[in-house]
Amino acid sequence: MDPVRTEIMRNRFAAIAEEASNVAYRTAYTTFVKQTQDYQVAMASVAGEFFAYPMKSGVTSSVCQNVRGVVDEIGIETLVPGDIILTNDPFSGDALCTHTMDIHLLRPVFRDGAIVAFAWAFIHASDIGGAVPGSIAPTSYEVFQEGVRIRPGLLYRAGELNTAMWNFFADNSRIPDLIWGDLQAMMAGLALLDQRMNELCARYGTPEVLESVADVLALGELKAREALRQLTPGQYRFSDYLEDYRGDGHVFIHACMTVEEGGSVALDFTGSDPVVRLAMNFVTGKRAHPFLCMPVINFIQTIEPTTPVNGGIIRPIRTHAPIGTLMNAEFPAAMGNRWVAVMRCYDAILGCLNQAYPGGIAACGAGQAGIIAASGVDGRTGRRHVSVVEPFIGGSGGRRDADGLDGIDQPVAFLRSAPAEVVESETSLVLRRFSYEPGRAAPGLHRGGHSMRIELENRGLSTTITVRGLDRFRFQPFGLNGGASGSAGSTVLNPGAQSERNIGKIDVLELAHGDTLLMITPSGGGFGDPFARDPALVLAEVLDGLLTTEAARAGYGVVINGKTVDMAATAALRAVPRPTPPQFTIGPARQALERRWPEATSRAMAEAVLALPAGLRPYRLAELRREGAATP
Amino acid sequence: MIRIGIDIGGTFTDFAVWAGEAAGYTAVHAMKVPSTPPDFAAGVQNGLEKLLAEGRIAADDPMLIVHGTTVSTNAVIERSGPPLALLVTAGFRDVLDVARLRVDRPVDLFARRAPPIIPRRMVFEIGERILADGSIDRALDTAEVVAAAQAAIAQGAAAIAVCFLHAYRNPAHEAAAAAAIRDALGAVDVVLSHEVWPQQSEYERASAALLNAYARRALSGYLAALESWLAHRLPNARLLVTKSNGGVMAAAEATRMPIHTLLSGPAAGVTAAQALGAMLGEANLLTMDMGGTSTDISLIRDGGIMVSHDGRVGDFPLMMPVTAIEAIGAGGGSIAWRDGPVLKVGPRSAGARPGPACYGKGGTQPTVSDAYLLCGYLREDIPLAGGLTLRRDLAEAVVAPLAAAIGRTVEATAEAIIAVATANMLANALPFIARLGVAPAELTLMIFGGAGAIHGPLLAAEIGIGRVVVPRLASVFCGYGCLVSDLRYDVIRTVHGRTLAAADVASTFAELRAEAESWLTAQASAAIPGYDYAADVRYAGQSFDVAARITPEAAAAGDLAAIAAAFHAEHERLYGHAHPGQAIEIIALRLRIEGALPRPGAVALPPGTEAAPPRPVRARFDGAERDVGLHDWASLPPFWSAPGPLLVAQETATVVVPPGFTATIGTFGDLILERS
Repeated sequence: MDPVRTEIMRNRFAAIAEEASNVAYRTAYTTFVKQTQDYQVAMASVAGEFFAYPMKSGVTSSVCQNVRGVVDEIGIETLVPGDIILTNDPFSGDALCTHTMDIHLLRPVFRDGAIVAFAWAFIHASDIGGAVPGSIAPTSYEVFQEGVRIRPGLLYRAGELNTAMWNFFADNSRIPDLIWGDLQAMMAGLALLDQRMNELCARYGTPEVLESVADVLALGELKAREALRQLTPGQYRFSDYLEDYRGDGHVFIHACMTVEEGGSVALDFTGSDPVVRLAMNFVTGKRAHPFLCMPVINFIQTIEPTTPVNGGIIRPIRTHAPIGTLMNAEFPAAMGNRWVAVMRCYDAILGCLNQAYPGGIAACGAGQAGIIAASGVDGRTGRRHVSVVEPFIGGSGGRRDADGLDGIDQPVAFLRSAPAEVVESETSLVLRRFSYEPGRAAPGLHRGGHSMRIELENRGLSTTITVRGLDRFRFQPFGLNGGASGSAGSTVLNPGAQSERNIGKIDVLELAHGDTLLMITPSGGGFGDPFARDPALVLAEVLDGLLTTEAARAGYGVVINGKTVDMAATAALRAVPRPTPPQFTIGPARQALERRWPEATSRAMAEAVLALPAGLRPYRLAELRREGAATP
Repeated sequence: MIRIGIDIGGTFTDFAVWAGEAAGYTAVHAMKVPSTPPDFAAGVQNGLEKLLAEGRIAADDPMLIVHGTTVSTNAVIERSGPPLALLVTAGFRDVLDVARLRVDRPVDLFARRAPPIIPRRMVFEIGERILADGSIDRALDTAEVVAAAQAAIAQGAAAIAVCFLHAYRNPAHEAAAAAAIRDALGAVDVVLSHEVWPQQSEYERASAALLNAYARRALSGYLAALESWLAHRLPNARLLVTKSNGGVMAAAEATRMPIHTLLSGPAAGVTAAQALGAMLGEANLLTMDMGGTSTDISLIRDGGIMVSHDGRVGDFPLMMPVTAIEAIGAGGGSIAWRDGPVLKVGPRSAGARPGPACYGKGGTQPTVSDAYLLCGYLREDIPLAGGLTLRRDLAEAVVAPLAAAIGRTVEATAEAIIAVATANMLANALPFIARLGVAPAELTLMIFGGAGAIHGPLLAAEIGIGRVVVPRLASVFCGYGCLVSDLRYDVIRTVHGRTLAAADVASTFAELRAEAESWLTAQASAAIPGYDYAADVRYAGQSFDVAARITPEAAAAGDLAAIAAAFHAEHERLYGHAHPGQAIEIIALRLRIEGALPRPGAVALPPGTEAAPPRPVRARFDGAERDVGLHDWASLPPFWSAPGPLLVAQETATVVVPPGFTATIGTFGDLILERS
């Protein structure tokens, strides 16, 4: 590896990726792309690994994806210059596409008649048809409710548009023109990547550029292995749960992480529940998939911050989820609301990492990916208008050297909130409150991140509120090394009024004129012994109105008189012996569940059910659980 | 009228002096004196005394002194201001800490959000509510306001900022709160968000109110001291202060609204580039200001400065229009190191202290400047500004271990360090240019600042820019920017959600015009103002808007069709598509007013004599030591020209002309490099 050329070309590759992403973003059409930046443009090697990936705009978490599975559906030998492949099919292409709303494009980059790279782009399409506007409903249970689906095919052949393919798509979307505008913007980015790659080859020589591609990927792998060698070799297991939308059902997620000598890691989700009849499934295919190792990838980028951002990072990682599990779903599973399931896998993997990294890394975060949207009919035009209100997440877990992030969890820490003034100008809602909720942060040496609280009052005629990604209304985020578990979320309609009722995990809700919706997110778990927390930090939270004096005493063993810490009383209180806490504090709801369904039993049941025909699995699992609940 | 531009840096305070109407750009005098931190005023006074002693100015000359200051900026970045309090609408006590929720590096498991400028205990919720349409939902309880203010002052608050929801639409509650506090508690410093910048977005507006209070504490004492010194020593001098939008304002206005100074330092350099570009007929420029720890780049397109609405100072946002500048973490002090198998440069920097090893001030790590010296771009026989002589032996000693580690000679390693630094800059500069929709080949690079003249041409060669301008005044370029800045004021009204008739637009623009003109009058300007009207517009249902510029006549008439036409055209220009059939929404109306001040004009240099012959020296290009000529800039007459590689020495800086470029002295004495 040339020490100078590798660094120069790494910069070159980063520059063209950022440039192409900027060009695509600048000319895109839809709010999804423009405001939430749910799109990306990047370049992959012939083997499918990304070597030029933007980090300043667009979705940054796809860098360890691989495009080769989609290419192979078509056949690399059949491609000619000017071809562009399109697909939004999660059931083919080895899980490059993970739900139908993501439209992926691939353009082979030719140099002297040979393919030297693949330019790639995707957009989260704002509508691809299906049961509801936007195509995502958390309670959809079949892919057919989630819009049109196109297996990998050529949108362009040698520069010629395949009108049959596009017309088919256009006839099945509510907003085909806007989607076409976004795709054109992405294709401008692809063309620029093609041009820039050819310019690099002309300037430095094609063999030299291809060697540099190999070198920067190898550097990514080398840095990743360096980071992973910080983990203690061994096998680690951890489970976590998703909640059903109706009743008290649960979904079992189980991760087994094997850390090997030499800085490699394997993750296995065998024993997790099969596909559910909700839009909470996703696909991960046969290769190592980033959705099954996100905390490990983040760990690498945290421990070795100069790791080049490319597909080499995932080389030392293997992942496996049996086909038919919720995280490697089969046709015709629904996936629109998959991100909350990705987050729960994140939590389970974090549980394993905490065992493998001496001293642990972080307690569990709020673990939901709430996105609140409001839809109302415009009083003048009669048209229905959908606005995103706010992301609604909750705090992250306490970390080994810092408190949890307040109001936001690590896997979605890229989300931006909207000003209340903008929300109120665009909807008939009044935000009565959007703030932290005091008193719910889990105590710890480093406390968990605060919950968010939102109060929405509807001043219009009738407004439909949809919230996807909510979870953890029962099963609390785990605390680590003596830190307390986080708080669960809650939702109340018309608090303080006669009609007040607790409505739990909602997906769609009609708010009548004057109705108020109060929602509180989960909070992150605590890290480490709260009785070892610096009393000055506890006092600061009391003075800031985020903690009561009573809670300071009970949760942290800190005695506060007025505006000062009573050091003697604190020392005395803290000196009282307490039982040694378990490594993980999981909270009473999960304890009760696991008394009935120990983890080993849940794993065995899931594996047994997976052996049945796919169509029978959810019914059989429900039946087994009903029977189990009936037997004392 | 004499005009003096003064720009304060960490090491030097730069002066650019223009003797008045008769003389042009080519007669502007450059001078540097040492800065005197932390009391920067002393350096300014020293410089003015020196100008008096040299007879360049007389004590009773009428003069305009235009001052760029970082006193307020430093206070914000270092968070060295006094405790402040904030009053907010009930339900929004965490507005500062929640900010816009996201963290900067989401992949970092230990990422943190910057702490707010004041703690939660200094934020007080007030039971009041104004809705998006400006109607009052819950009346203000002034007794509650006074109680909160008393509590804040009891906790040590030096000033009280107020940010209530939708105050940009209806400021009644903020105004009533201020009146109640002053009635009850006397002369309390109260800052209202709608007075600082009345734009929708409560977090950014609350931050602006607090930053203004913060900066005022830092700046007002400094300016008052300077003004009283001037009144005594230079009684006919008027003091103006540079703004983040590239304009200037009176010192009294800077004390009232110091928030507008926070990004003024780098903005002055861009204004200077715009002025020089106009003289040279260069309408599309990439500007590059390279210092010890970072490099600022900006763009001038069709003669206009690029404006940003999401500036940042320290950890805080600025949403008023400011000159768009991208800071890159690469400078002459950036440290070269080995990261596993590869050579990296930065982001750590040796800074001003200890500085690069070759400065002989205790630097022990190889920096980009050490590499310049080893490649022959900086020279032992040309001292830096301030008289510092560089030492090649020290540079060699710190680069040698790195060279051994990567298996190259010391000189080849030095060249590699420069190449990697160039690649770092390129990785930031190319996306910045792309974001603004420009191709590098359309641009001319204008370089200034300490290391810019060395590295700029190398970057131009790498990035595909064919033309480079090194201004004659490159070493005091921000000071020159102070000489060519005009009075400039931006004003905005948010109208998001309102249904606007032509009469509403016309009356709103009339209000903006009255406010802007009264501002201009208050700066004691006699100039005929220039007006730049615009509307922020979007397609209905979208969430990003575009500034559509309209004529004063269209603004006065409230011409909605003209606004729509300008919007569709601008959308087409920026994004390559427009939809004239689609409904649009107007989000805000804006006006920028400008009052021209006298500035040096384009007077050509007289024809010169023969250029002195260059001194033969050795310098490294493209992997080999070469014999090149070292030319003395001062001896080069207009229209002198020679092909690179060569070096041109100014008093305190060296210009590197790489192979493939030809250097020419332009009409006004600037050095112009052109790809052959």
